[in-house]
Amino acid sequence: MADIDLGRLVIRAFDIKSVSWGDEMKVTPQGEMIISKSMLPDLVSSMDTIEAVDIRLIQPDEHDQWTNTILDIIPISTKALGVVGEGITHTLTGVCAMITAVDTEGKQCHEFGSSEGNLKEKIIFDNPGTPSSTDVIISFDVTLKAGMGQERKGPYQAHLLCDRFLQVYREQMKNFDGKLCSARNEFHNISRPGKKRVVIIREVAGQGAMYDMQLFPHEPSGVEGGRSIIDMGNMPILVTPNEYRDGILHSMQ
Amino acid sequence: MGIGPSTKETSMHHFRDPLLDVVSADEDIDLLGIIIVGSPDGNADKLLVGTRAAIWAQGMRADGAIISADGWGNSHVDYANTCEQLGKRGIPVAGLAFHGKNGKFVVTNAYLDAIVDFCKNKDGIESNVLGENNMNVKDCRKALAMLKLKMRKSDAERGV
Repeated sequence: MADIDLGRLVIRAFDIKSVSWGDEMKVTPQGEMIISKSMLPDLVSSMDTIEAVDIRLIQPDEHDQWTNTILDIIPISTKALGVVGEGITHTLTGVCAMITAVDTEGKQCHEFGSSEGNLKEKIIFDNPGTPSSTDVIISFDVTLKAGMGQERKGPYQAHLLCDRFLQVYREQMKNFDGKLCSARNEFHNISRPGKKRVVIIREVAGQGAMYDMQLFPHEPSGVEGGRSIIDMGNMPILVTPNEYRDGILHSMQ
Repeated sequence: MGIGPSTKETSMHHFRDPLLDVVSADEDIDLLGIIIVGSPDGNADKLLVGTRAAIWAQGMRADGAIISADGWGNSHVDYANTCEQLGKRGIPVAGLAFHGKNGKFVVTNAYLDAIVDFCKNKDGIESNVLGENNMNVKDCRKALAMLKLKMRKSDAERGV
């Protein structure tokens, strides 16, 4: 029997060639990204578990530096058309976001094992879940209020703060001219009648605090609008291949 | 969350997931979808959600399942149960998990015979290095090959 196409997703990648400090928050389809800390004070004051946040731009030759424990590595993507899992996504390559967190008492935000130390020794680069060795890393180093690293709200707000910061760039990315993308990938949910019917089961964290996953965010790999797997009772949820590869999961680690 | 940084699966990992790439690209496989199931804290909840995942798979009339966990120890309790619940329903199951030296299954059963250990650390430990003990394409291809073998064996036993 012939294959059946159940849905299409297009991911356009825009390669970022330079990430630098400036007075405005700006990203262009030609590959220039400018970072400003101007919105950080307002973001910090809107989160009651967060004491302070610093952003560092870590260039590929600057991995020899201290890092607090790493909560997450996040691709910067947005929906240009449709919702997560269908339509068109714009994503940036050559750059990614990283969240690290510690509290005011110096306790790293972790439960069992933490990755603070020299960055070059604490990440295996070029893996599916880690930055490329040539990526610029936008590092969000969050200082939580005392004890908040072990409460659900602390790491959640660290992720939310980063998400709201990135949203400024996402809004600009939505309007990128697709013709200027550096790579275009098309994905299809394919049904193959008559072939072996296989389901993938992904067991993910749902134990509490930073052991949590956010599903169904408004933006790919985003936080805003999402629902916690813990709040959904850790019950099994079915997603399509294109929803999964479009970033319907956000690790709250 | 991985229980320990080296098994943690970041948001980036899910965005570029090798398991989905491998399974969806295989033209002998009709990929039904991806079931995401949490790993709760309490034992009764662990058994419940894993059983519900197996019932989903059965309801979808799956010929086979590939299961992964992003942690070990505590997370292996659910993992082993979900494998058992799938197996008891006649659904062949293969999987991927971190074992190494310090992540052996804390519980066991008859349905854990096709699990790929994706430990990469040379000493077999949770190294606290991000991304070190994650699945890669090779691990996923191996798990899919093991599942195909189990499905073939299951067909032969049932005379299909």
